[in-house]
Amino acid sequence: MKIQKALITAAGPGQNSLPLQRLVDRDGVEKSALEMIIEEVDASGIESIAIVICPGDEEPYRKAAGKYVDRITFVTQPVAKGYGDAILQTRDFVGNDSVLHLVGDHLYLSSISKRCSQQLIEVAESENCPVSAVQATRESMLPYFGTVAANRVPRHDTLYEVKRVVEKPTPTQAEQDLTVAGLRSGTYLCYFGMHVLTPSVFKVMTSIASRANRPFSLSEAMNEVASRERYLACQIQGTRYNIGVKYGLLNTQLALSLSGVDRDHILSELVEQLAVQPTLSRATGS
Amino acid sequence: MNVPAHPKAPISVENIWIDTIVSDDEAVRNRSLESLCAGIDANGLLAVADRLDTFRKESDNLYHRVRAQFYLAAIYRFFLPKVFCETQTGLLEFDAYQHILHRRFNEAIDVLLVAQANDGPTLAVTSALAKAYHQIGFQTLADQVRRSVRTVRGNQWMFRIGHPSDHPLRLHKRLMEVDPHHRSFPILVERTSVRMDFSHSGWSDIFFLGMDYPEGARVVNAAINLGVYGRDEAPRPPVEAYLRVIDRPVLRLVSVDLGAEAELTEIDDIFDFAKDYLGLLKAALIASGVVPPAMEGCHRKVSELLKTLTGRADLGLEVVSQVNDIPKGSRLAVSTNLLGSLISVLMRATGQVEQLEGGLSEPERRLVTARAILGEWLGGSGGGWQDSGGIWPGIKLIHGCPATPDDPEYGISRGRLMPQHVELDLQRVSKESREKLQKSLILVYGGMAQNVGPILEMVTEKYLVRSEKEWEARLEATKILDQIIDALQDGDIRKVGELTTRNFFGPLQTIIPWCTNRFTESIIEQCRVRFGEQFWGFWMLGGMSGGGMGFLFDPSIQNIARPWLLETLVATKRAMQTRLPFAMDPVVYDFEINDRGTWSTLLTGEQAVLADGYYSIVTPKWLKRDMRELSPQTQRELLQLSSKIRLGNTSSSWLLDRILPQPPKTAEAVSNLKELLQSNGFDREQHEQIRNDLLTGRLGLSQNRLPSQTSISDVELDDVIDLRLANDSDDLKRSVDSQSSPNASSLGYSALVDGRVAVVTLAAGVGSRWTGGAGVVKGLYPFCKFNGRHRSFIELHLAKSRKISERYRTLIPHVFTTGYMTHEPMAKHLDEANRYDYPGPVYLSPGKSVGLRTVPTARDLQFFWEETSHQILDEQQQKIRAGLHIALMNWATTVGEASDYTDNVPMQCMHPVGHWYEIPNMLRNGLLHQMLSEHPQLQYLMLHNIDTLGATVNPKMLGQHIQSGSCLSFEVIGRRADDRGGGLARVDGKLRLVEGLALPREEEEFKLSFYNTLTTWIDIDQLLSLFKLKRSDLEDTELVDAGIRKLAYRLPTYITIKDVKKRWGQAQEDVFPVAQFEKLWGDMSTLPEIRCEYFAVSTMRGQQLKDPAELDGWVRDGSAAYVNSLCSW
Repeated sequence: MKIQKALITAAGPGQNSLPLQRLVDRDGVEKSALEMIIEEVDASGIESIAIVICPGDEEPYRKAAGKYVDRITFVTQPVAKGYGDAILQTRDFVGNDSVLHLVGDHLYLSSISKRCSQQLIEVAESENCPVSAVQATRESMLPYFGTVAANRVPRHDTLYEVKRVVEKPTPTQAEQDLTVAGLRSGTYLCYFGMHVLTPSVFKVMTSIASRANRPFSLSEAMNEVASRERYLACQIQGTRYNIGVKYGLLNTQLALSLSGVDRDHILSELVEQLAVQPTLSRATGS
Repeated sequence: MNVPAHPKAPISVENIWIDTIVSDDEAVRNRSLESLCAGIDANGLLAVADRLDTFRKESDNLYHRVRAQFYLAAIYRFFLPKVFCETQTGLLEFDAYQHILHRRFNEAIDVLLVAQANDGPTLAVTSALAKAYHQIGFQTLADQVRRSVRTVRGNQWMFRIGHPSDHPLRLHKRLMEVDPHHRSFPILVERTSVRMDFSHSGWSDIFFLGMDYPEGARVVNAAINLGVYGRDEAPRPPVEAYLRVIDRPVLRLVSVDLGAEAELTEIDDIFDFAKDYLGLLKAALIASGVVPPAMEGCHRKVSELLKTLTGRADLGLEVVSQVNDIPKGSRLAVSTNLLGSLISVLMRATGQVEQLEGGLSEPERRLVTARAILGEWLGGSGGGWQDSGGIWPGIKLIHGCPATPDDPEYGISRGRLMPQHVELDLQRVSKESREKLQKSLILVYGGMAQNVGPILEMVTEKYLVRSEKEWEARLEATKILDQIIDALQDGDIRKVGELTTRNFFGPLQTIIPWCTNRFTESIIEQCRVRFGEQFWGFWMLGGMSGGGMGFLFDPSIQNIARPWLLETLVATKRAMQTRLPFAMDPVVYDFEINDRGTWSTLLTGEQAVLADGYYSIVTPKWLKRDMRELSPQTQRELLQLSSKIRLGNTSSSWLLDRILPQPPKTAEAVSNLKELLQSNGFDREQHEQIRNDLLTGRLGLSQNRLPSQTSISDVELDDVIDLRLANDSDDLKRSVDSQSSPNASSLGYSALVDGRVAVVTLAAGVGSRWTGGAGVVKGLYPFCKFNGRHRSFIELHLAKSRKISERYRTLIPHVFTTGYMTHEPMAKHLDEANRYDYPGPVYLSPGKSVGLRTVPTARDLQFFWEETSHQILDEQQQKIRAGLHIALMNWATTVGEASDYTDNVPMQCMHPVGHWYEIPNMLRNGLLHQMLSEHPQLQYLMLHNIDTLGATVNPKMLGQHIQSGSCLSFEVIGRRADDRGGGLARVDGKLRLVEGLALPREEEEFKLSFYNTLTTWIDIDQLLSLFKLKRSDLEDTELVDAGIRKLAYRLPTYITIKDVKKRWGQAQEDVFPVAQFEKLWGDMSTLPEIRCEYFAVSTMRGQQLKDPAELDGWVRDGSAAYVNSLCSW
């Protein structure tokens, strides 16, 4: 398996403006979130990229894509029919290849020299099967993520064979069906927002779309994949940042800055803020 | 026999006990307690106890530990006291007792064992050890169930989520979709049936049993819909839980049946179960994970939690519970199924159950059940594991399961916490069989108020120690269950009736004799007489009979049997309601088997309306507020309600009933109370004086105590006459006849033969501890079977006097003192029973004094709860008790401290004024005068309490009293751990009886070796002279009154707090603490001018039976057999 294509979804209702937000990257350069996501993909050797967008979003996305704009295929999801449908819109682009998939409202920071997407692609290429990046996540965050039940692959610390996937499970269900040996109690393997999807995944999604006339999630499709073929989850050495939640953008910016060239500057700013804060509190009487 | 302090026994004997506990071989493991104890003397038993104590400390297996603890409890309670001599009096260390009260059982045992090693076994120490081992056994079991409930997968996360922002549940989106036309939120309603058990194989559904004996834990039960015969058109699921979103960020809880409503804004309030009647709804919120248990004490707002749940700051939740007027105590597990229903609806609403509407999958039912168990633990109750049977559809066999390596119980207990449900589907129990059953079985609620808790403890203990008869009965009950299943499969309902009847009269009553009662057996008997062969049998439901019960008839006569049964139940209840506690009139049900289990429906649009009962609770509150202050949703609902009433779609009478003043129902009761007070000698002046003294602090619980500098010391051995070896069962006649010189026995014998003695049984009190304040006549309570049928206290006392009369060929006049509550029923009952054909005269001495209860002062409540020792309860129950105390304290201050307590039926508002008055009453009401006229030779009275069952006219004691020449001879017994309430002491050097509530410090009581039984031998003439009277003065009421007043003035008045029940709704009961005053007989011993003597008597003779929970031990330790030997029936 060789991964040369990537698809990014950015058509979620209310989320389509997130990739257009501007941030300062680790090198101190201001750019759009979309540009940073594409950089992540590009650094992994991907050649062509598709972005699923809402109707009418192409122009701002073109602007936000910066220097990568010529390598991008924009695919419009005509009607908001869910995450699964958004991915299926790229069938023509993907063809019979395996593809790296990222969500448009997440940014990734690797804790090692290899990028997060690079780590994932290496696993997929060596194991020759669909792989999802996962992260150990506290149960209070379960309402936001797809979650997997998995067994650790022998002799691999970070690789799991997925048995089941549940989209946004309740903690009750997670505790009954999704506990993973080796994880601390109340912690589950949740999606990282990055996957390698094989043609078989697209087959499953097509089949779900044809029999269920309703929106469906990627988790639902991957759950079916898990029952049909070998499907792995890889615990990535890195962190994902969801820019779509409250303070998500701020947290992402802090993470970028504190791991980059402006670390000292930002730290000084923060310390100053902390020092000023009590004065402010007194001044406002709060 | 003196037992050395450090006994040793052959090792093999002790090892047999340990082998029995640890063996995998059933034959060894199930060896009975009796066979283990056979032939072991006191030294041997002490050595066994020593080994078992070491074993229980060292063993890391839960059930091994618990069995050892129960063996130890049984040895110290039942076996050791039989083989050592009880003349070895001893003291119980106050520290040990305090340790027990504070649940520091191990510490208590250590202190007690040191005392035993130093002084040898005494009743005081062995009874305390038995209590400590018994309680530590149950504590260990309860802790394990609690741990298991927490470790059930799917429950654990709730114990980790402590902050609303971390809450991982989200409300189902459909519940937040506003109907565009009606602008209302949808309502999710869960309808759940209740469960009816065919057989529970000898209470094998108790968790403790199921977890140790999964093979034997088997129950067959069915989910049933109910209707009240004559009221409802058709049976329906009786339990309903409603949930909807509301437009204010609060949690609104409404219990339609209990008429309670609350809007909660603080998370901490959800954990206060005793504050109102909404405890079950609160437990459901917690157990469902909507408010996870880990949030207890988080001090956060409900609005924060709701914001996380709904994603919006302006929305709240409303949960409403409704039970179709099924009375409490129906034995159909209504509360567990309501809890299950509430939990289910809440779990659906938060996505923990997949389907918002419809039924539940098997894993979901199991999860809801696990959460219901958790909820019951939180609420301080504890049902059996079959109780959620209404959640499952149809008829099912529920059985225990051995724990496997995947279960959290593995290695701890033999069985799992959660049982397995196997549906007996239509293939196994055909439709025809079900219909036949429905046409044969008549379900009823007998109306009796009951407490099943002690029964469940008795069952557990008897199982764990494998009491011989009970174990055999358990094995038989298991066989009966198989036969019931076979009969159901064969459609042979008559056979089912035979089997359930055999089960009831056989194994169930062998295991627990107290599961039956006179009421139940009377109804069964009447069914047999009326319908003969067409009465197919009796069916006990749940833990005991008297509440929910079943009667099977030939289906062809069901239409005749049903109205007859209702009539018979009501008539029998009316005839017995002064003798047995009834919570309400009996009810007959219609029922049908529910084949789909709990079921949920989403009501939308115009269907999204709650029942009239709901609006009758909330509307009056809404109407009190300005319309503009109400939320838009509430305003719309009021408008809709208004249009419905205008259009005549719903009756408006319920609304008018709630918002307009009602003719005071209590007016009649108040006038009755006034009349009753007047006719029973109520002294208003004295009452006002007492109220004033209570308010100013001159009277009160702390003022009951003697001054703190009073010296209290134990008596010396020669202060008492030791009669503990005088056997009441001996036939003294022969020995006295053969003796030439007069001695005590022959003096007593002569007095008896000459008719110089009469018996006075004190029966004026209401036995508030016996009935839990239910207000029935304890003397008439048919408490235990003797010679084939239930006998009451008064029948038993007459049977003892009859035996003495027969043995000594004499006639003993027998007096029962009565009070305002007991006189009429006793007179009527004695007439109806023809005075039990007692050969001598039977008199009633009606009370001539009565008091009016008052609301206690906050000061006294505080003293009662905080400054006197009470048994601390298990952690969760203690929390609930603490909440209840706050609520009751608020009640007292709101209603008015020391104000008259009139908010109850008149009989419950009045109180007897203490047993001191009962002898003076005999003077005042002319009975003593009458007796002396009819029996001028009468010289002595034996006075005893109604519950001192071993007291009988023993000639030796009578003779001892005559020989001593004293006015009063009091009988005392060696103190045991539970004998609280004072005793025989030297108070500032004077030998006297002292009441527990008069002791300056609580620990003083533990210095006293002897406990007062109240049994008193009285010299009539000396007593009269104490009142400054002679026999000839008894006709002069003024002289009598003056004599009594003068003496009464010299005796202390005590303030006491008593529990009184108030009944309401469908067999609901509230218990209120009320204050009353008393003068007590024992204080006669303080009078300097009379001579008193003190007889130490055997425990069997002097012990009192105060609480029905003591009955089982009373039978097992031989007391019942002993008492029976004193009787002639």
